[in-house]
Amino acid sequence: MNKNLIKLKHVSKVFKVGEENFTALHDVSLEIDSGAFMSFVGPSGSGKTTLLNLIGGLDVPTTGDIYFKEEGLSSMSREQMARYRRENIGFIFQTYNLLPVYSVYENVLFPLLLNGEKEKDVQERVMDIVTKVGLESQAKKRPSQLSGGQCQRVAIARALVKDPLLILADEPTANLDSENSLQILELMRELNQQYQAAVVFSTHDEKVTRYVRREVKLEDGRIVSDKNNINGIA
Amino acid sequence: MIGFLLRGVLRDKSRFLFPFSVVTIGVALVVSLVGFMEGVFMGMIDMTANLDAGHLRLVNKPFYDEEHLRPLDRSLAGQKETRVWLKKNSPEQVEWFPRIRWGAILDVPDENGETLSQTPVVGMALDLKTKNSMELKRMKMEESLVSGRLPESPNEMLMGDQLAETLGVGLGQSVTVLGQSFDGGMVADNYKIIGLVKFGVSAMDKKMVLIDISDAQNSFYMEDMITDWLGFLPPQYSLEEYEVVKKDMQEPLKRWIASPPESWAKDDHPLLLSVRDQQNIGAIADKFYVIQSFVVGIFTFLMILVLWNAGILSGIHRYGEMGLRLAFGEPHWKLILTLGIEGLMVGILGAIAGSIFGGAYTYFLQEVGFNMGDNFAQTGMMINDVVRARLTIGGFVQAVLPGIFASVAGTLVASLAIYKRSEANLFRELEAG
Repeated sequence: MNKNLIKLKHVSKVFKVGEENFTALHDVSLEIDSGAFMSFVGPSGSGKTTLLNLIGGLDVPTTGDIYFKEEGLSSMSREQMARYRRENIGFIFQTYNLLPVYSVYENVLFPLLLNGEKEKDVQERVMDIVTKVGLESQAKKRPSQLSGGQCQRVAIARALVKDPLLILADEPTANLDSENSLQILELMRELNQQYQAAVVFSTHDEKVTRYVRREVKLEDGRIVSDKNNINGIA
Repeated sequence: MIGFLLRGVLRDKSRFLFPFSVVTIGVALVVSLVGFMEGVFMGMIDMTANLDAGHLRLVNKPFYDEEHLRPLDRSLAGQKETRVWLKKNSPEQVEWFPRIRWGAILDVPDENGETLSQTPVVGMALDLKTKNSMELKRMKMEESLVSGRLPESPNEMLMGDQLAETLGVGLGQSVTVLGQSFDGGMVADNYKIIGLVKFGVSAMDKKMVLIDISDAQNSFYMEDMITDWLGFLPPQYSLEEYEVVKKDMQEPLKRWIASPPESWAKDDHPLLLSVRDQQNIGAIADKFYVIQSFVVGIFTFLMILVLWNAGILSGIHRYGEMGLRLAFGEPHWKLILTLGIEGLMVGILGAIAGSIFGGAYTYFLQEVGFNMGDNFAQTGMMINDVVRARLTIGGFVQAVLPGIFASVAGTLVASLAIYKRSEANLFRELEAG
């Protein structure tokens, strides 16, 4: 397995807020391995989302470098960055962000169509992942007909369907009750093992921290702790 | 992908119905409006051409220069020779018919043969005696005849129904034509009113009398002489095509004038005119097309404006979807391209629906029309009392292309915001829902 899927070297991110400069990340160096199951934790404003943005190729660092499998993201054009996201990254959002006019099946199909796949070629694959997240019987339903937990399952299926190397999940359990949160985390852990996609959570939720194998704690844009093999999981 | 996105567009009524309705209504209005304008204008042109000017007209210049006086002494000699020349030198689609425009005083006698009333009349002589001739069809003589019959014997006259009413004359009554002959002498010839006609053109119905061309040649001593040759092209020909035919005939005409027939007078000099050249129709046509373009332009602009706003509303409505697609790695240009294609499809569907509605309404106006005779009663314009629209391919083109363009342009203008959208804020924006 390829170690060092993502490598951050002395990454800082400074935002201009009015006349002031706000440093969201200070000299962060970090490595994320293939198949990782980890979380960024910390209070609001600690830099978790900024870090996800940078790793996900949605933003570029002010200083420092980010590498994806040894390839530098900073030198990529906007187009290359879009391709990087399209081919390698799956996103899961707190508010699910499902497309309301499409069915469960179609929402999961969507990223594959963006990748240029033909619907007839991937129908089986889509139904397979829909089945894996336990929504086979709901495949024709629209998001408005589903519960929050079911919507997040659709979002997980959507993130996984294109076999990404990395899934970035921003507060995926924040809108769910405890029972649904645990089910989602359990599902993600299973799928992480099954698909070998690295999963990186950004979260406040302590339940998440009980599931991950690694926890990176952020405060004021700095890494204050980086614990591996926690929860007794290697 | 496009099919997938269209599925979404069609399912989402809030982002489909409004732009679709705007395009449908816009296209329907433009089709109807252009059809109506075209119908009124081309109706006027056709009416003028059929009754008076022809699509093409060969006339002697000395006659044309003083046309208002109807100077029969300036007529063009050599009727048979001219017919042969016209046939030889014009496209075979053009049909040529001789006419004589004349003017006279019409004297209506009482039962004692004394003058009861007199009035100046505008006279037209044409072939009225050949059954089923194109002249009769073009002038819609059968339909226009409100009472009586068409001339069959010498010295029979058709009279405008309003003129007959004004003069207080009826069928069977004799009237005397007092005019000037070809050689400058006085003409006093009796005619019998055998039919009353109503062309639906107030200017004609109030002032015109019609006689057969052979009678006119007898009465005015115009053997083998004609004032006008009117040429008619099939209905599908446009004003521009009349000009092309006219232009093509100019060279042979020059050669003909250079070696004139013996029957011509020294100063005879035939002119070939199109309907555009007569009665200021060219200038009116140019203004008409400018106004028509202006109207279509305004509609298109308004459609773009409304669709731009519809696009913005849709953009707001689909803010999450757009953000998601950017986050998932769809390039900005591709996103905008797909929006443009969506706009194109909505535009095409709206244009089809608009064409059906607008076309149906225009067809109704074309077949049924509506009577504006009261409004035209005092006008001298050669306009039919029943105004009809005209369904033309041009009308659809003028509506459909701007309709589709407006839909695409409106969507693209609204989607410019996507270019400015920064991926760096997508997580925050998407978390906000």
